[in-house]
Amino acid sequence: MTLATACKSLLLGMVSLSALSACSPSGSSSGEGEVNIYTARHYASDDALYEAFTEETGIEVNVIEAPGDLLIERVRADGERSQADVVVTVDAGRLWRADEAGLFQPAPELDSVLETVPANLRQPDGDWFGFAKRVRVIAYAKDRVDPSEISNFADLTDPQWQGRICVRSSSNVYNQSLLAAMVAQDGAEAAEAWAQGIVDNMARPPQGGDTDQIRAVAARECDVAIINHYYLARFMRSENPGDQEIGEQIGAIFADLGDGGAHVNVSGAGLAANAPNRENAIAFLEFMLSDESQRIFAELTNEYPVIPSASYDNDVLDAFGDYASDDVNVDELGANAGEAQRIFDRVGWP
Amino acid sequence: MIAGRAQFNPVRPAIVAALICAAPLLAVAALGVFGPWTDYMGHIARTRLPAYLGHTALVTSVAALSAGLIGVPLAWLVARYRFFARSVFEWLLALPLAAPAYASAYGWYDLTQPGGPADFLPTVRGPVGAGLIFGFALYPYVYLLAREAFAGQSADAYEAARTLGARPRSAFLRAAIPMARPAIAAGLALVVMESLADYGAVVHLGAPTLSVGLIRAWAGEGAIADAARLALILVMIAFVLFALERSQRQRARQTSASGRRRPPRRVDLAPLQGGLAVLACLSPVLIGLVIPLGRLTYRAFHAPLARDLFQAATHSLTLAVLSGAAAALIGLACAYALRSKKPTAVAAARLAGLGYAVPGSVAALGVLVILGGVQTGLDDMWTALTGMQFPLLVSGGVLALIFAYQSRFAAAAIGPSESALQRVTPTLDMAARTLGAGPGETAWRVHRPMVMSGSLLAALLVFVEVLKELPATMILRPFNYDTLAVIANNYASDERLGEAALPALLITLIALPPMIWIARRITRQEGAK
Repeated sequence: MTLATACKSLLLGMVSLSALSACSPSGSSSGEGEVNIYTARHYASDDALYEAFTEETGIEVNVIEAPGDLLIERVRADGERSQADVVVTVDAGRLWRADEAGLFQPAPELDSVLETVPANLRQPDGDWFGFAKRVRVIAYAKDRVDPSEISNFADLTDPQWQGRICVRSSSNVYNQSLLAAMVAQDGAEAAEAWAQGIVDNMARPPQGGDTDQIRAVAARECDVAIINHYYLARFMRSENPGDQEIGEQIGAIFADLGDGGAHVNVSGAGLAANAPNRENAIAFLEFMLSDESQRIFAELTNEYPVIPSASYDNDVLDAFGDYASDDVNVDELGANAGEAQRIFDRVGWP
Repeated sequence: MIAGRAQFNPVRPAIVAALICAAPLLAVAALGVFGPWTDYMGHIARTRLPAYLGHTALVTSVAALSAGLIGVPLAWLVARYRFFARSVFEWLLALPLAAPAYASAYGWYDLTQPGGPADFLPTVRGPVGAGLIFGFALYPYVYLLAREAFAGQSADAYEAARTLGARPRSAFLRAAIPMARPAIAAGLALVVMESLADYGAVVHLGAPTLSVGLIRAWAGEGAIADAARLALILVMIAFVLFALERSQRQRARQTSASGRRRPPRRVDLAPLQGGLAVLACLSPVLIGLVIPLGRLTYRAFHAPLARDLFQAATHSLTLAVLSGAAAALIGLACAYALRSKKPTAVAAARLAGLGYAVPGSVAALGVLVILGGVQTGLDDMWTALTGMQFPLLVSGGVLALIFAYQSRFAAAAIGPSESALQRVTPTLDMAARTLGAGPGETAWRVHRPMVMSGSLLAALLVFVEVLKELPATMILRPFNYDTLAVIANNYASDERLGEAALPALLITLIALPPMIWIARRITRQEGAK
């Protein structure tokens, strides 16, 4: 058997495979009345969002859920034939990368809606935008920490916090974005000094997720932890008595980042460059910013709406109170993510 | 069977099968070789590389050591002794394989972390913790392959050793183990490769290995070519493992040159020993499966449940059955390729098996590159020829997925088939040929009965792997096509352990019937011989 015959058989196999698969019903043809969402979010509440959209517009929603990096590669591999209409991710860095790869197209139709979104929460050219906010906060043990001791992330590098800080791995994208925001705001050197300070003060090597850092504070393994606000909100709204108790013992400080306010990351979306259902996609993106969707985010996933005027009913978010946000543009988070990761590598934050 | 003699040549389909499996890995290699260079490699060489390498070495050795120490003795116990509920343990011992390693890691970490219900135990974390998690999650590879080898061994050697005055333990060590070496080595190679490829558990437990450095190149810097290069390092480690496994195989002595074998009789254990045997069989199942999933299930109380689990289970089952069947064929084809000793065939089959050491998301990337490349290559030609658009490959659905699974899990399919085919000695072939059988007839009438259990095992391993597989499933599936593993991971990665429990449990439940069926089938075959 020669290599040529082998290649021929391989090719034939591929062709027959694709011919067969063309018959398989995948609900993905680019007909009218559909919109294809490639999303890195996977909350049960998003299903509620899709249902509400279909109910309102009659447009069927097709969904593929996968991690952001893979979604980007799939859209890239499919090229002009991509079926993606909307790409959704859980952090700004991925959207920035998709944008760099030319996977988005501008949507002038959305301009008037996007004006209601604060300028730092959308890409400057309008290629993509955040639709829900997640804030990186400092969780603290109410019985051991006086919240007035911490008002800025820089405070955590003080020697008094030595052996008292819990934080997860730097492979986590929320930590990367936090440091990327510092790089954008204060420069790489200051960011590296801060990261080194945190490593020096860690109570234990990074392990577990944000939820586990909260549990560790409750278990007196450490006194403060760096987490996303909604993980703590989950404890406070839990129906499990043990988790509720943890939620009561722990508070959140919306600490400032440098001279700005709290560090805000977004779940965001953009219109795919080769969207087969462009109009439906725009309808969907507009829907993400509607009062109804914004309320769903706040009430079901404890994220903050990006539209300041959106109203919602969530005791825990109310209890967290008002906070000032940093004004770093979300586009900068992706642009500085690589630098941030290298800083983590250099200071030995695994 | 004159026609068979003229036409059937197992080498040809073998090479095609191997190339199909190897294609995505070749795509990853091409990315690494031709992709742009950044200074990321230099950067991690200066910073994290020693830690990554140290963790990788520690995690994989602890995993291999624990999997071997659990898998081999238990395989011997189940294959050669009779005790209470032995036939149940025969398949029960394989079950931890159905629990995704990350689920076990999440469960154990949650139990033993400070404030957890078992925080009197040391926290399961770091490279040793991760290695133990892999050992208890993956020992079934070693157990299944070794059990099959022990059951297939003729009793002659062991009994000869006993007659010569060796105590049972020393006869086990000196006669039985050396003969089962290829199977044990193949099982350990799978354990090590899967530990090398893991990303989720090692990050969670704070033991970043090379695969973490690889994912960071991709996720943090968008340096896909550098990620591919690191993947090639993992492949090289796997290659060395394979070479070691080969040398084990060559040192292995043939069971019986005549091909005649006397199946061993199981020895009854005394009540006390029997009790200990039951305990020994129970503990790895408890540690690898019941306790971690039990912890997740406990968290499931108070947790609302969404999504159609029944439909997801149907999807999982469909994918797993189809892939398992395909893998049995491909594994056998590759085993024949290796047996042919033709250099092209051997190289293709070896290459096909190496993809297993590559983290799943990179393997999925390779599949995307291949399908995307073929797509762009064919689109214009197809339109020019037929005037129609060429069907979308990546979004092709189930078939694209099965292609991805074959390439990812070829090693799990080749190992058992190869080790079973190993038992068919060249003298048997010669005898069959002397008696007038062609190569096809020899394969059908002589090989098939002897490799059947190996092929079933290959199908089972891939079946279970596909039930657990994540990145390729997530990115290649058709719209709105959930599987149990996807749902479990969606919740777990969102730190909703409770909601992840039920789909994870369903995976093990789905894996149960084929495991029982195949265990019975193998046992019955042994009886028939």
